Amino acid sequence: MIEPAVSLQSVTKTYGSFTAVDDFSLQVERGIIFALLGPNGAGKTTLIKILTTLMRPSSGDAFIEGHSVLTHGKQVRRLIGVVPQENNLDRYLTARENLVFHARMHGLSPQHYNPRIDRLLDLIGLANRQSDFPDTFSGGMQRRLVVARALVHDPQVLFLDEPTTGLDPQSRRVLWDHIQTLRSRMTIFLTTHYMDEADTFCDRIMIMDHGKALVDGTASALKDALSQAHIYEVEFRNHSDRYEEILRSLPFVESLERSGNAFRLVLTGEESLKPLMDSLGSSDVRKICLQEPTLEDVFLELTGRTIRE
Amino acid sequence: MLVMRRSIFSELVAVTAYPLTLYLAFGFGLKGYIADVEGIPYPLFIAPGLISMTAVNAAFTESAWSMWFHRRVQHTIEEYRVTPITVYDIVVGKIFSGFCQGAIKGMAVAVVIFILTPFRMDYANLTAYLIYIALGSMIFSCLGTICGTTIDKPENIGRVESVIIVPLIFMAGIFFPLSSYPAAIQPLIGMLPTTAIFEGARQALLHGTLNWRFLVVLLASAAVTFAVAAVTFTRKMSE
Repeated sequence: MIEPAVSLQSVTKTYGSFTAVDDFSLQVERGIIFALLGPNGAGKTTLIKILTTLMRPSSGDAFIEGHSVLTHGKQVRRLIGVVPQENNLDRYLTARENLVFHARMHGLSPQHYNPRIDRLLDLIGLANRQSDFPDTFSGGMQRRLVVARALVHDPQVLFLDEPTTGLDPQSRRVLWDHIQTLRSRMTIFLTTHYMDEADTFCDRIMIMDHGKALVDGTASALKDALSQAHIYEVEFRNHSDRYEEILRSLPFVESLERSGNAFRLVLTGEESLKPLMDSLGSSDVRKICLQEPTLEDVFLELTGRTIRE
Repeated sequence: MLVMRRSIFSELVAVTAYPLTLYLAFGFGLKGYIADVEGIPYPLFIAPGLISMTAVNAAFTESAWSMWFHRRVQHTIEEYRVTPITVYDIVVGKIFSGFCQGAIKGMAVAVVIFILTPFRMDYANLTAYLIYIALGSMIFSCLGTICGTTIDKPENIGRVESVIIVPLIFMAGIFFPLSSYPAAIQPLIGMLPTTAIFEGARQALLHGTLNWRFLVVLLASAAVTFAVAAVTFTRKMSE
């Protein structure tokens, strides 16, 4: 059996009485883009910190390419590249010096790292700004530099913790184009709040909450699982307030969301459609249609719609 | 080192201004009012202490603020920790950085005092003197590392400097002989590592003598502060 790139075995992390990660197990095969999704406080960053040796689990163990984070931390750190949530560049070093410093911490020689840094700076479009300090860069440029820094030593597993948060659409696109080019050479393990990114770019998605995995699969498999839920969109011409009252009173309407004159409702089953139409009549209905579930629907269905602190 | 090289000139100008002002103000301003101290002219009496004070102050400041800044503001400590270097490498590097800053800035002040004032010394005494500078810088660099590791709010580092570091330095006899203290507290003052640094450095520079009791105090203090700095940093990183 091929060794997984990333493996977690019954990992638990507690802070006093709070359990951030609860008996979590996972295996990520090599060469894929794996996305871990979850609301704030779900335990995603804690998991990444454990996998990158920044934090020790309270119990269980995690492995990168077969090396334990508990007993072979140094070996693990040789194999991983990490892009944290914050741009933790050294603002007193130039763009190039940031990359050189990282290479030296990995014990690389100038003959090895200089050509590689040249290539990376070219690739991220910062070759002509390599002597500038990160403070003079835009958020997108800083983010690209952090990604380049994580790649200087050619890691086998790349961890990206919310890599595109705070970036404009153009910068997000450039960064994703770059990440896409890496998938053939390394395993990519990322967290993101952008469902469209996970849907479009990731081979496998896991949704977690309260320190536990909820579902795991491809984007289409997760959406298919939710297609059993009967989600409809209904829009009225007039009297939307009255129709809201009617909809709320119907026993087969599981959930209801309103946006102006439009309503998004989940029915208990296909057989509820006829009694729904009977209740609403047809005079004020502008539109009624079945809605294909998105990854965001899956996410909200599993993790709830309440805002987390 | 790269960052220090880049800013060394402005740093040295800033760091020499304060002790030089003290030297000119006290050494010359008070020279007419203060008789020789234990047979030594007053400007000569305070010069070794001012050089040592600059070194230990610089060592503390560099270590404390650098550790705090990299840990709390830039989060670069987190970047170091996902590379193959160990937590011990990081803490030793930070202590060494503070030590170097202290030693370099102390020497810079010595050179400036030597060039701008009539202060002269016997060069044969320099090696003994540098032993005290090195040990003092090491101890204060470790203390700074401990502060930078444990203190999260920057204003609290300033408070530690005001309440602990400055009294430790000024009570140790830079500007006056230790014999000025009441006899009852002289043994206590004698046990301070800063007394060992400043009094020992003065004896070394002016008389070429190494005081073994002071050296033992300094070596023990360096060992203890280093161990505490390493353990504190390791614990903090595992939180």
